[in-house]
Amino acid sequence: MTDFRKDFVKYAKSLNEASEDKNIRTAISRAVSSYRNTVSETLERFPHTPALAEEVQEIKTRSMATLDTLLEQAMASVERNKGKAFYAKDHQAALEIALGIIGKGKTVVKGKSMLGEELHLREYLEENGNEVWETDLGEFILQLRKERPMHILSPSIHVPREQVAEVFTKFFKKEVPPDIAEEVKVVREFLREKYFTSDVGISGANVVAADTGAMVIIENEGNVRLATGAPPVHIVMVGVEKLVPTFQDAMKVAEVTWRYAQYGVPGYVNIVSGPSKTGDIEKVTTYGAHGPKEFYVIFVDNGRKEMAREEKFTQALHCLRCGGCMYECPVFQVTAGHFGHTYMGGIGTVWTAFVSGGMEKAAPLVYSCLRCGRCVERCPMSINVPAMIGELRERIVYGTYED
Amino acid sequence: METKMPMVLDVISENIIKHGSPLALKGSEVASWAKELNLPVKGDLLFYTGGEYQMLPFIDSLVKTITHLDQGSKVFSMMMGARNILNKTGISPEKMYASVLAKDKDRYNSVCFKAAKVLKELGYEFCYSGSEELYSGALLYELGYLKDMKDYAKRVVEVIKKSGAKTIVCLSPHAAEVFKFVYPKLIEGFDFEICTYIDLVWERRDKLAKISSPESVVIHDSCRLARELNIHQELRDILESVGAEVKEAQMNREWTSCCGGPIKILFPELSHVIGGRRVNELKDSGSSHILTSCPYCLSALEGGRAKGDSAVIEDLIEFLYRGVKA
Ligand code: SF4
Repeated sequence: MTDFRKDFVKYAKSLNEASEDKNIRTAISRAVSSYRNTVSETLERFPHTPALAEEVQEIKTRSMATLDTLLEQAMASVERNKGKAFYAKDHQAALEIALGIIGKGKTVVKGKSMLGEELHLREYLEENGNEVWETDLGEFILQLRKERPMHILSPSIHVPREQVAEVFTKFFKKEVPPDIAEEVKVVREFLREKYFTSDVGISGANVVAADTGAMVIIENEGNVRLATGAPPVHIVMVGVEKLVPTFQDAMKVAEVTWRYAQYGVPGYVNIVSGPSKTGDIEKVTTYGAHGPKEFYVIFVDNGRKEMAREEKFTQALHCLRCGGCMYECPVFQVTAGHFGHTYMGGIGTVWTAFVSGGMEKAAPLVYSCLRCGRCVERCPMSINVPAMIGELRERIVYGTYED
Repeated sequence: METKMPMVLDVISENIIKHGSPLALKGSEVASWAKELNLPVKGDLLFYTGGEYQMLPFIDSLVKTITHLDQGSKVFSMMMGARNILNKTGISPEKMYASVLAKDKDRYNSVCFKAAKVLKELGYEFCYSGSEELYSGALLYELGYLKDMKDYAKRVVEVIKKSGAKTIVCLSPHAAEVFKFVYPKLIEGFDFEICTYIDLVWERRDKLAKISSPESVVIHDSCRLARELNIHQELRDILESVGAEVKEAQMNREWTSCCGGPIKILFPELSHVIGGRRVNELKDSGSSHILTSCPYCLSALEGGRAKGDSAVIEDLIEFLYRGVKA
């Protein structure tokens, strides 16, 4: 017997508190109008995008139907490129493989990754005797504030500059004024030193091409470029749902992702397929020229393959994590990441049920979805989240789910 | 595995299954609006209320009960009746909702009356199942009680069949949605033509009398109507026909913002916050006369409106009825 009553009450309280939080309210309204403006502007500038998005839907459908083959192919490609590829069945396996590569007493710089949040990667590596730094500015702020992200793209969306100054002043042990440029500068100085002295860089990937083993990572700050280029070891940790057959497919997915993820044109698109190498002296291939000498990819399953097998849910794996649906969600607009558990909003609720937390964590979230359907309108992948929420409700009511 | 859901979900689902109404309202009470109209019980076109507008004032007091009591607490479970008592007797709305104001009851009850009058004016002939009418079960579907919905739907269809109607006109878009998309999957040979109240008015909009309204109006598109049923231009056409000036909210038609209603029974405070924001969005259009076409939107927007806000919130039915009286 699973009693959800207390969970609902607790969750309702947290939503109510969040909806009274002025910081969340202001930050999200600003973010929502900026999202709507940028996206409509860039769609006008690049009018081929919606058609391209439809093509990407097809690519994703094909990819999820042949996931096992793609995974095999991608792992072989990585190995051919002189990297090492791993498959992690679950959460624990993923962490252990990463720790096995890293060891103890190391310094690690990390790019932003929702998978990292799902696995509680930083905390795990720290508990095992490593020093880990988030290099995305938003995540760095949250690391210092010991908080969890409130949005998948702008994790610290709810923290205004005054509060950033406060936490920086305390951490850097010097007066940091509530001036955004100054705040960016202190972090830049601090992390620059970390990039070049750390032992390992960890990143995620937005899309992976199975034919070439190319990891595509989209970013604006340039932190991923440094974190994956400067240290001697680069580990990519990526969910298996990010696989697509070819490099060309990957480019299409990437373009649609950044367009709807409000990048317009992203500052950087990193494509990494193997360790750094040179043949400049006597044509002898030598690894670790300027970039990492060692390159590892951990493909993480953790419930994704099961989701791919479920006809009613496989479409949820098409999610590009553009964040568009969250901005259009009336519940998210007033509660931010409180409507979520690692993954947020309606789509995040589906992910919670299968990948991160399970049905018990998902149940209250499932019932706070309005099923209003505006997310479907926004979603470049037209993911029918309300239908999935309906299916989850049925499983919860009748207890027909696995723990 | 068995799961224990929040009490309010038990109450609502069991009320539907046992009493044909989410709040166990009596059939005679639900049908009281039609007394003077002497509508036939048989005909080609069935007027279907599902008891939804009639239920609105009671929902609000249910929600007040929920808001003030911890749903996990003993007191709450006593208020709501233990599950086994519920099985035998259901919840007595008379006792539970003693606080419902007569004026609210009258207002929401009269929505059905007004809707029927408007259709009559347009020359439609229709029948009504009266006190036998059962709620569509939309909430069973919404809340995940789909297995129960399967059995329940059979009973609803039996009542509908008695009317001999070929077409069902639904006042609530939620009823139209389940009849259109869910019933055909549950019940073999469910081949009624389903239309919304808006569809019928729209077809004969040329016959509508002009309504002299000094201020402009703004439409709150209901999610179900705009996105699932793809009805939004029709509302504008109808209002144009009666000579009303329509202002548009920034988020409208298929991009409309939800009123917050669907989570009202489980997350009442949050639902009010969302409703309040939507009211403000609508007022930003420049009009403070809000028209909607869904019972839950009506109730949620009313609930979300800030204290002292003088915005008028009406169902389109109520607005169109002005033309009937004139
Ligand atoms: S569900 Fe759709 S809109 Fe939401 S983050 Fe994923 S791809 Fe973007």
